[in-house]
Amino acid sequence: MTKLACPRLFEVEALRDGRLLGAERLSFQRHLDSCACCSREVVELQTLADRLCNSGAEADADELHARRERTRLLAAFDAKLAPPERTLVPRGWLVGAAAASLLVLSFFMYFRARSAAAPGTQRAVAVHAEGSASWSRRSEGPVEKILLERGALSIHVDHTGEKRRLLVVLPDGELEDIGTTFTVSAEAGRTTRVSVASGSVVLRIRGQAPLALRAGEIWRPSQPAVVSTCPSCEPPPAAGATSAPIIPPSAAPTSPLSSARVQGVQGAQTALPPSDRRASPAASAEGHEPSPSLDFRAAMALLDSGDNAAAAARFSSFLNAHPRDARCEDAAYLRVIALQRTGDAGSMREAASRYLRQYPNGFRRAEVAALAR
Amino acid sequence: MIPRGARQPSLADNARNSPDPELIRRLANGELDALGALYDRYQAPLRRFIARSSGNSADVDDLLHATFLAAVSSAARYDGRASCRPWLVGIAAQLLRRRRQTFGRLLAMLSILKGTTQTSRDPRPELQARTDVARALAGLSAAKRMTLLMAEVEGMSCSEIASALEVPIGTVWTRLHAARRELRQTLRGADE
Repeated sequence: MTKLACPRLFEVEALRDGRLLGAERLSFQRHLDSCACCSREVVELQTLADRLCNSGAEADADELHARRERTRLLAAFDAKLAPPERTLVPRGWLVGAAAASLLVLSFFMYFRARSAAAPGTQRAVAVHAEGSASWSRRSEGPVEKILLERGALSIHVDHTGEKRRLLVVLPDGELEDIGTTFTVSAEAGRTTRVSVASGSVVLRIRGQAPLALRAGEIWRPSQPAVVSTCPSCEPPPAAGATSAPIIPPSAAPTSPLSSARVQGVQGAQTALPPSDRRASPAASAEGHEPSPSLDFRAAMALLDSGDNAAAAARFSSFLNAHPRDARCEDAAYLRVIALQRTGDAGSMREAASRYLRQYPNGFRRAEVAALAR
Repeated sequence: MIPRGARQPSLADNARNSPDPELIRRLANGELDALGALYDRYQAPLRRFIARSSGNSADVDDLLHATFLAAVSSAARYDGRASCRPWLVGIAAQLLRRRRQTFGRLLAMLSILKGTTQTSRDPRPELQARTDVARALAGLSAAKRMTLLMAEVEGMSCSEIASALEVPIGTVWTRLHAARRELRQTLRGADE
């Protein structure tokens, strides 16, 4: 029969390692006086420690070796204290590091400038100026700017390459290219003519609503600021208006949206997919089909400009004209937002209910549902 | 007053007789003789600790040097205790731990490159051991071996060991218990 070990045996090691404190320690020390098992364990642990302490002499170095190592250590310490080597080396290292950084930075700037110079853009925008035209050209980050003071410029933009905005700064406004080829003239501090051969442009004359001009359309300042291909939808000319519609010879009346399209297009450089950008001018050049992108952008521009009532109307028009467009849900949602901003709670709720009916699992369902309530 | 005929005590003599805190203070001021005195006083136990902890006698001199030079850098932060031996052992333990980690990473990288499995333990300490105790000690893992030596030979408390090895104190207790158990088993087998 084996004698059972003391249940407090583990406390021997705990005592040795300083884990027993205060009352526990005193209690176990009292226990040690009466427990042979624990006392034996104490002795065994102490024996083990003694054996460890007494061994290891084989690692000791002989005196000569120790003296040699001492000299080596003191020499190393002395060298560590010597100041010239400590200061010169880091300084040289710092100068080298700074020079290398400068070199890398200059390379980086050079290549960045090269890419910013955009060889594609330089080639993509072809400008033909009349002999008397006064103009200049500069690049401002993602925008290519052509400053026209007077004269006529024929501009062709190739949109197949790099996507950069082209802005023609006019004496009394600006013109933004969306399409490909157009001519713009200015005289005596005023824009006198804009003619779009293909694609479309957005013309912003100061004090007037922005105009979207499509292929075949010509703008002159002596007519109202509305271009329309639908006589029945044409608004009455404003008193004292300086801009007027130009009915392109090839343009046939198409949709009531055509008249609305040219009103209030501001900030038209919204995120438009390149495919839309290229497809839109082609479609308009062929037969003035309503362009979903332009309509959506026009509505967005109105919303951005704070003309919420007009924006709501434009979003409604967009939804009616392009019911299968991928942006319909966005348009329906933004119409709710526009109506909310106008303060017309009834219309807003009606629009919200319509959104929820049409898009029961829409992305903005929760928000619109809250508005509908 | 120094009696006639008596030798004037040199700086080295002063250093040799100075207490540890005084030596460390002078070391912090960059005094060479303080380092010499400290080396004379503690090189033997430190060498023994490093040799037994690392199990590789080839690196002992370099690690001993590194310990004393690291002590010079840390001298200004010395806590003023009467004996600086545990402090020096703590520095040596940290250097050994870093060296072991670096060596382990290198070994792992080489194993990956070579496509072989890494061996869990360096067999050299056991092969080099001359006595039963040394052989049993060499059979422990490096972490357990170092913890046991710091506790039983260097007389460091568990909290000091935990601080030096940068491990929780519970880990120190566990390592100590496991090391004692393994060591006793090995020695019992050797004695029989």
